Formats: sequence, structure tokens, C-alpha cells
Amino acid sequence: MSGARTGMPERLASRLKERRTELGLTQAELAERVGVTRKTVNTVENGVFTPSATLAIKLAQALGLSVEQLFWIER
Amino acid sequence: MDAYLMGLAAGIAAGVIIVAIVKLRAVKLMSVAEKAEYLSKRRARMLPALAVIFLSQQAAFLSTLGSREQTSAYAAKVSAWLVLSIVILAALATKGFWLEPKAVRDLIDDENTRANRNDAMRWGFLFSMAAAIAVYALTLFNVQMSARDAVHIVLTIGIPAALIRWGVLERRAYRDA
Repeated sequence: MSGARTGMPERLASRLKERRTELGLTQAELAERVGVTRKTVNTVENGVFTPSATLAIKLAQALGLSVEQLFWIER
Repeated sequence: MDAYLMGLAAGIAAGVIIVAIVKLRAVKLMSVAEKAEYLSKRRARMLPALAVIFLSQQAAFLSTLGSREQTSAYAAKVSAWLVLSIVILAALATKGFWLEPKAVRDLIDDENTRANRNDAMRWGFLFSMAAAIAVYALTLFNVQMSARDAVHIVLTIGIPAALIRWGVLERRAYRDA
């Protein structure tokens, strides 16, 4: 990762909560759509947990966005 | 009956009773997602409590540490402790909730839970190794200790470390929900 090479801290940011709220979905409803528990959605929204590529794609699909629109790297 | 066998039987009986109580208390008419949520939250609350129960069982062992006098009651307690250790290790190494339907078990063991569980296992391993090194170092200073005592100490440190770490991560995951 470039952050690791340059020593700059990186974190995965997302507009998961914003988009979910736009669509009127609760964390539980989104979790059910992608086949995880509400806890996992909560941790991704809070930036506590970095999802796998598989989960990121599932979340993006469930919210009608591309992965790049939903997630980005914050430096 | 041999005291060790009695202890093993008592440990297994306690496990069966706990499972029966949990099954009887299980809330019915829940969807898979609701049940997974309910069980996952309960696990987050239970993990630190389980670590305390596990550690409190060490009183029987610590009270006889270094002495060769081991009564039948002691043997029974240690055997029951061994059963609990095996059950906890199995729960840490697998999805747990063995009596729940597969769909619920799969959902409970989702991506975040697996990451938390793996992290807890790592902590358990590191604490076990640190305990093993400490025990080894003690024997260099002529502290007398049997192999069974040494293993007991390693398990006493490693298992609660994993339980507490998992509990902390699970509770943190539910924060700001």
C-alpha cells in the first residue's frame, strides 16, 4: 500500500450511513440484504472494521452504487 | 467412582443443564437475522462473564499449588475445570452455538465476528506463550513445578485472555449502534 510505503496513515472511508439513510434502510435491513449481522454493518459505518472485497461489493450492490462511489481511501 | 471421573461427569452434566436452560429460554418465532442478532449480543455480554467464571475456578488449583496433597474433591474440581476448558476452546475455535440451525450459525459467524475471533485467538496464543516462557524461566530459579501445574498455568492465562479480548471487540462492535 502506498500509505505503508510513505508512512502516511490511511483509512477506509465510506458514505455507507449517508446512502443507507437516503434509501430509508435500517442497519438491520441492510445487513439482511447482504447476509451479515447488524454489528458488521455498524462497524463498517463507524470505520472500526475494514470489509473484505466481497462484502464491499455486496454492500455497494445493495445500495445501488459502485464500490468506488461507496468507499474511498482517506489520507 | 474415581474422583476424576466424577469431576468429568459433573462438568458434562453442568454443560447439559446450561444447554437445556438456554434452549428452554430461547425466544421463538424469530427470523434468522433476529435470532443471530439476539445470540450475538448475548455472546458479547457472556464472554467476559465466562472469563471470570473460568478464572474463579482456579481457586481449587491455586490453593494446592506446590503441595503434593491432592484430595478427591480437588481431583473432581480439576476434572470439571478441564471439561470447561475444552468446551471454551471448542467455542473459540468454531462458530459455537452448536445446537442452533446452520443458517443462524453461519450468520452469527459473519465477517466481523471471524475477524474478532481470530484476533482473540491471536491474543490467547501470545498470552499462552508468555505464560509458558514465564513458567520456564521460573524453573530456572529452582521453582518446583510439575508438568501438569505448568500446563494448568498456561491454560489459565491463555483462555481468559482470548475470551476477554473477544468480548471487548464484540462489545466495541455494537457501540454507536
